[in-house]
Amino acid sequence: MGRYDIAVIGTGPAGLSAAITGTVRNKKVLLLGSKDLSLKVTKAHKIANYLGLPNAGGEELSAAFQKHIDEMGIEITEDKINAIYGMGDYYVLQGGENVMYEATSVILATGVVAGKPFPGEEENLGRGVSYCATCDAALYRGKNAVVIAYAPKEEPEADFLAEMADHVYYIPMYKEEPQLSEKIEIVRKKPVSMERDGSKMKLVTDDGEILTDGIFILREAISPKQLVPGLVTDGPHVAVDLQMKTNLPGCFACGDIAGTPYQYIKAAGQGNVAALSAVSYLDELKRRSK
Amino acid sequence: MLKEILNDNLDEVKGCEYAVVDFNATWCGPCKMMAPVLDDLANEYAGKVEFFGCDVDENQYLAQEYGIMSIPCLGFFKNGEQLDQSIGFKPKQVIAAWIEGHLN
Repeated sequence: MGRYDIAVIGTGPAGLSAAITGTVRNKKVLLLGSKDLSLKVTKAHKIANYLGLPNAGGEELSAAFQKHIDEMGIEITEDKINAIYGMGDYYVLQGGENVMYEATSVILATGVVAGKPFPGEEENLGRGVSYCATCDAALYRGKNAVVIAYAPKEEPEADFLAEMADHVYYIPMYKEEPQLSEKIEIVRKKPVSMERDGSKMKLVTDDGEILTDGIFILREAISPKQLVPGLVTDGPHVAVDLQMKTNLPGCFACGDIAGTPYQYIKAAGQGNVAALSAVSYLDELKRRSK
Repeated sequence: MLKEILNDNLDEVKGCEYAVVDFNATWCGPCKMMAPVLDDLANEYAGKVEFFGCDVDENQYLAQEYGIMSIPCLGFFKNGEQLDQSIGFKPKQVIAAWIEGHLN
């Protein structure tokens, strides 16, 4: 599939606007997201301040967006990006089913992720807290682990971990009854916080504590830091300057993920700025390689 | 290419003034992504910092000894002593800055 000039992640107003501007500037753009565009747009009741479309309803605005990208010949690649790796002068984007995309620059327009990390979670990441059971399972041979899972689809990961580890506690954060191997102990408690305790991790719950070698947290939503390793964030947002630049050269962010106010027209405007910054970045790279 | 550490033998690392050890495994996706980045850095820092690869399945004793709980994990060694770890995939620029921070 070759290397794209710009990969845009997200199909809300910020992402669409970035893809449009990138296309206008004749760059090879990969637009990743949902063909339904943004639920946050579609479900809006009435939007009073979107320039040119007074009092548009969410569906009306969404249809106008769709018409715009259709007319420009922009297509959406429906895929969920799990990780974006900065390789130096390009990025590798890892999609579902391990499809890899390559792009020289990246524009993050994924919206904000709700849900805060647990106290003690980020401090201990890689030191007893992990987000990937299949990645780190082998390091838990002869040890025990706690899995905190937010959806039934994580159950195979816990089963995999249980093949390696001595004992696995499984805390489902959903209502369905987990279908797990018999080796796994299901614990219906609410995690509150986690902390290091000597060589172990201590998980504090609403009903006592669990001492364990490691805690695996398997969530649906990915925080920006997890999505792009090495990215500097500011709370739930990506830290950007007025050109929508992040701390990583060639990586830009726009829309809700870049901070408040959460407004459709602001997102669209920032998408435009991010795309133009990406274009300058690409031109600069080209100049330097000559 | 990184020099492979075999049989839990860290002698060559201990003989280096500055060394980076990449703890990895064949089944670890982010480790695979890190490999070309480290190859690049090994070239850029040739003569200054030595780069080693350490498969945690092949070198289980070392993985225990150096407290590897998550991979990829880079260990920065000065005169054989591990000064710092960098956990998880990191972009090239970030690893370069991390190495610079330890050189003096």
